[in-house]
Amino acid sequence: MQNKPRFDRNSPEIKAYLEDVAQTFTREGTLIAFETCMPGMTVPIPLDESRITALDIIADGTIYGGTSGHQAHLIVACFRGLTGLVFDIGAVEGATQCAAVCCGAKGVVAFVNGPKGGRAVSTKLVRLFGQDFIQEWGVRRPAIEDQGECAPGEAVVDAVAVASRKQVVGTTTGHVFALDIDAPKPRIVGEAPGKGKIAVGSRGGVFGRDEGDSLWRYDPERQALERRAVKLPAGDWSQPLGWAADPHDGLLYTADAQGQLFSFSEAGGFSAPLGRTMLKPVGPMAVTFDGRLFGFCGAEIAKMFCFDPQQREVTNLGVAASIIGRKRYGYVFGDAATGRDGELVFGENDNGGHLWLYFPRIKSRA
Amino acid sequence: MSKARGMVRRDFMKAGAGVLSAGLAAAKGSETPYPSKWYPFTEHPESDTCWSLSVGPDGRIYASSCAEGVPGGVVKPVRYNEEKDKLDFLFNLAEKVDDPGDTGHATQCKIHYSFAPSMSDGVMYMATHLSGPPIDLPVYNPWYSWHDEKRLFRGAALLAFDTRKDQVLWWDTLIPKEGCRCLLHDEDRRLLYALSYPRDHFFIYDLKTHKRRDIGRIGSINGQALFLDKSHRVWTTDDYGHLVRYTPETDRLEVSPLTLPHPIYMTGWHSVFYDVAPSPDGECVYASTWCPNPYLMRIWPNEKPWPRVESLGPATQPRDLTMPVDMFLDHCGGLTFAGDGQLYYVASRWHDPVRNPMPPPRKSREGVVWRLDPKTLKREEVSRLEHPTGLAQYVSRGAVDHNGDLFFGHVGERPSGIFKVSMPASRKRKNAHLPIRMWG
Repeated sequence: MQNKPRFDRNSPEIKAYLEDVAQTFTREGTLIAFETCMPGMTVPIPLDESRITALDIIADGTIYGGTSGHQAHLIVACFRGLTGLVFDIGAVEGATQCAAVCCGAKGVVAFVNGPKGGRAVSTKLVRLFGQDFIQEWGVRRPAIEDQGECAPGEAVVDAVAVASRKQVVGTTTGHVFALDIDAPKPRIVGEAPGKGKIAVGSRGGVFGRDEGDSLWRYDPERQALERRAVKLPAGDWSQPLGWAADPHDGLLYTADAQGQLFSFSEAGGFSAPLGRTMLKPVGPMAVTFDGRLFGFCGAEIAKMFCFDPQQREVTNLGVAASIIGRKRYGYVFGDAATGRDGELVFGENDNGGHLWLYFPRIKSRA
Repeated sequence: MSKARGMVRRDFMKAGAGVLSAGLAAAKGSETPYPSKWYPFTEHPESDTCWSLSVGPDGRIYASSCAEGVPGGVVKPVRYNEEKDKLDFLFNLAEKVDDPGDTGHATQCKIHYSFAPSMSDGVMYMATHLSGPPIDLPVYNPWYSWHDEKRLFRGAALLAFDTRKDQVLWWDTLIPKEGCRCLLHDEDRRLLYALSYPRDHFFIYDLKTHKRRDIGRIGSINGQALFLDKSHRVWTTDDYGHLVRYTPETDRLEVSPLTLPHPIYMTGWHSVFYDVAPSPDGECVYASTWCPNPYLMRIWPNEKPWPRVESLGPATQPRDLTMPVDMFLDHCGGLTFAGDGQLYYVASRWHDPVRNPMPPPRKSREGVVWRLDPKTLKREEVSRLEHPTGLAQYVSRGAVDHNGDLFFGHVGERPSGIFKVSMPASRKRKNAHLPIRMWG
């Protein structure tokens, strides 16, 4: 026998459910997915080589990134002026994962993993902004140079450019390393377990996860590594850390394995819990100019969230969907960055990964 | 815009040579040598759709009596009983896989292009798809409920049915949390291939070890069919009408640079496979797209480096290009070869006051059975499907049974059911279902 439905279609609960279901995707703001090519002119990076796992943005708004998969690629993208493309700088020989991309004034250093270990590779900046990609254009593919292993036999976990963008600090599974972007040979600066992302603090120190629910701190000027420099607040710290930095004051945000959000400043330390995301784990996050934190949470099909520090509340922005240009669902994201104009840029860590630009809803006047 | 409209109409007229004359001939009445008969799912009155119809390894016709719009609805496979000229309801699949319709989860509501035969042992594999709401909710949205343990679809159930003993041999979860949009069996290698919904991942299920592997995402819009070539490569499509090929030796999914045929005013977006029928000689396949203004095509997958794809033109009628035509109105499916070596399929036709007036007593929507000669590519209208409501424009799948007759699954007006279209005696052949299609 068929079962008879057990609900009243006119009940407030069912009406509320239907209204909520109707808002499954991108509840506010606009997401635009951009494929890894010059649309209509070139083909995207192969399906299983285009999982975007690393991003960095330079002052003119040009986005650099790295992919993971069958082969890792370095990419550069620009969405200002008359640009509007993602350019495949090239595949990195022997690499299957890009852990980080760090930009300097003239060059880019990427950190990749693969059978040859965790390595630094470098290339020159590619000038896209200023060209006319409507009328006529020309782009050259710069060489990618291998700068060697970061720590023998160890995979790179993450790396960041320090505030001056002259130096990069990174972490492997067992060491902290540094290099100068203009002469990018990695040098080990200390021993520490690499667990998750690292971040530049509000006073220029670099922080990464250390043993015993603590953070190490590396001072780029003094070139000194301080182990267990900061104690993590009470929480579930069983998962690798992720970070987002407020571009206004350098305030950092992170989340524990249960989705509890915290802020951290070098001067004031960690905040009390700020709120909890709808789902766990918390993925990549970035902060826009007005201080709102945007990120993804949940495995397999992530949902976007917003933490508004003024309201001190976390809101569910739904599953990512792009409906302008490319029509696409966004499920898994690998990295995030804040764009030149306060838009958020997310790298999609999935087959056929796209760069996702998020333009948050403009807040109403109070 | 006017230029595009004109070119599209010419394109249609050229590709559909003989369409109008044949159509008028068929309109004269019941003179067709291809009479159709309707078989409703009477023993499953809640059923609202038939998303799958295939010929089994025994040469008999199997179809899915689905209940996708019914809270708590479940699917019941049926089989055409040629002795009694009726449908036999085989079982409640949800009960067989321990996931009945009243659990509060999204239900095992349908089999969606996911029958796949096994010739060596007479097994018919079938895999379920989602969308049926929990019994206490009016709708189910898999994105919304992905993390909701109370509502989440348990996963596509894979069931092995022994057609010789009429017995369910075993079941397993083919794809956790997701539905199976389409299924294929590579019998030589004892592998099943599937596309998942909603995430559009490509899965491989090893029948020897009962283990699954997720090869990864393809896009956002499922291809509605997979097909197999001589090299054991499996093919489908991505969102933008590119061919997608899985090669077992490299264990990779690759995307073709070419785009499948589509109208010139469109980009190729959404030109995913709807239905794919193998040519009896195994050298090529015939396909239709799941897109407004669907196209027919012939694909030669064994050619290198990428297949040659021949456009056979639009399958349905000219339209107002400013109007996004309803995809349940504008449709082509049910592709199958019959014993006469001809390709049969069903394409919709509808009332359009300017381009296709179809005055009464013609219905406002029709499901037209076409015959395509693979040698000349000439198409002829041979029959119209007659549903009790008169509307029968959306055919999901078609197949030929071992007696050589045509069958089509139907989606649309209730009651739900299937059509039998009797073939003219001169065109019938025993075991016309062989070589059998290995995908749903």
